[in-house]
Amino acid sequence: MTETNHEPGMKEYIAIWVGLLCIVGIEAFLTSMNLSTRTLLVSLLVLAFIEAGIALLYFMHLKYEKPNLFWSLVPAVIFVLFMMNHIWPDAYRMANLRVPIQ
Amino acid sequence: MSESEITLDAGHAAALEPSPYALQSKKLTMWLFIISDAVTFGAILFGYAYLRIGTPNWSTPFHFSPNIVNGLVMTFVLLSSSLTMLAADAAAKEGRKSSCLKWLGATVVLGIVFATLHLREWFHMFDEGWSLSKNPLGGSVQFGATFFSITGLHLMHVISGIIALIVIAIGYNTDWLDAGHVETTGLYWHFVDLVWMFVFPLLYLMNVAR
Repeated sequence: MTETNHEPGMKEYIAIWVGLLCIVGIEAFLTSMNLSTRTLLVSLLVLAFIEAGIALLYFMHLKYEKPNLFWSLVPAVIFVLFMMNHIWPDAYRMANLRVPIQ
Repeated sequence: MSESEITLDAGHAAALEPSPYALQSKKLTMWLFIISDAVTFGAILFGYAYLRIGTPNWSTPFHFSPNIVNGLVMTFVLLSSSLTMLAADAAAKEGRKSSCLKWLGATVVLGIVFATLHLREWFHMFDEGWSLSKNPLGGSVQFGATFFSITGLHLMHVISGIIALIVIAIGYNTDWLDAGHVETTGLYWHFVDLVWMFVFPLLYLMNVAR
């Protein structure tokens, strides 16, 4: 993240767009393979975060704004999403301790 | 300038700090909206994952063809609309009004194509018996509830974005709005695209029948 106004031109944007399409293609390819649910989920999430990061930095120009903007917004969102992870034990309780379906 | 005005200006200068972000206020406002909306989508996707883990008879109704192929086409259309939005933004910054309007029009058309493909898929699922509270496969109804809720919220954002782009195009054409408004609306449109990057893998690819 640098403080500069040198935003990418359309050629760079097209290259980024092609890269994002390639990532979507990889996601579809992974889905067609016989991966376990856990492996598929982790792979898709990693790829989705890479895609989102590229979109945020280049398409939304966050890379070319003052660093203050990034540090004011992004850590707060990550913290909130991180705090939501406390729900998983209850989700597993629902799955494992429920009355079996007849 | 009188002495009293000079004193007033000096007073304001002391009271107003320079902006730490160096952004137009509308752009900063859009960033704050995007951050709050990101948390909203994050929360409903966490809710979806919670229900999915806690529901033993979860249905995975999608097949690679036609569901995932349709989803891939929708993704291609939405990603392409981000590219046309960037072209509109670049043209607006350089003062090329007709070019900006052309690219804004292309973005609107691609948004309408995305919404049409989405609604076509929904109506196909309704015909199969899916709804917020019905599962034609006999499993948990939670799939329909979460799928239609999350994709519905995203579709609402797309439709809102299309309306906003049309308003911005009209305003920019009549010099009522400027390049900053085009850029700010572009931020929103890219965010809608960003959300789809999570919705597509989590709701479509993770629900392919095995």
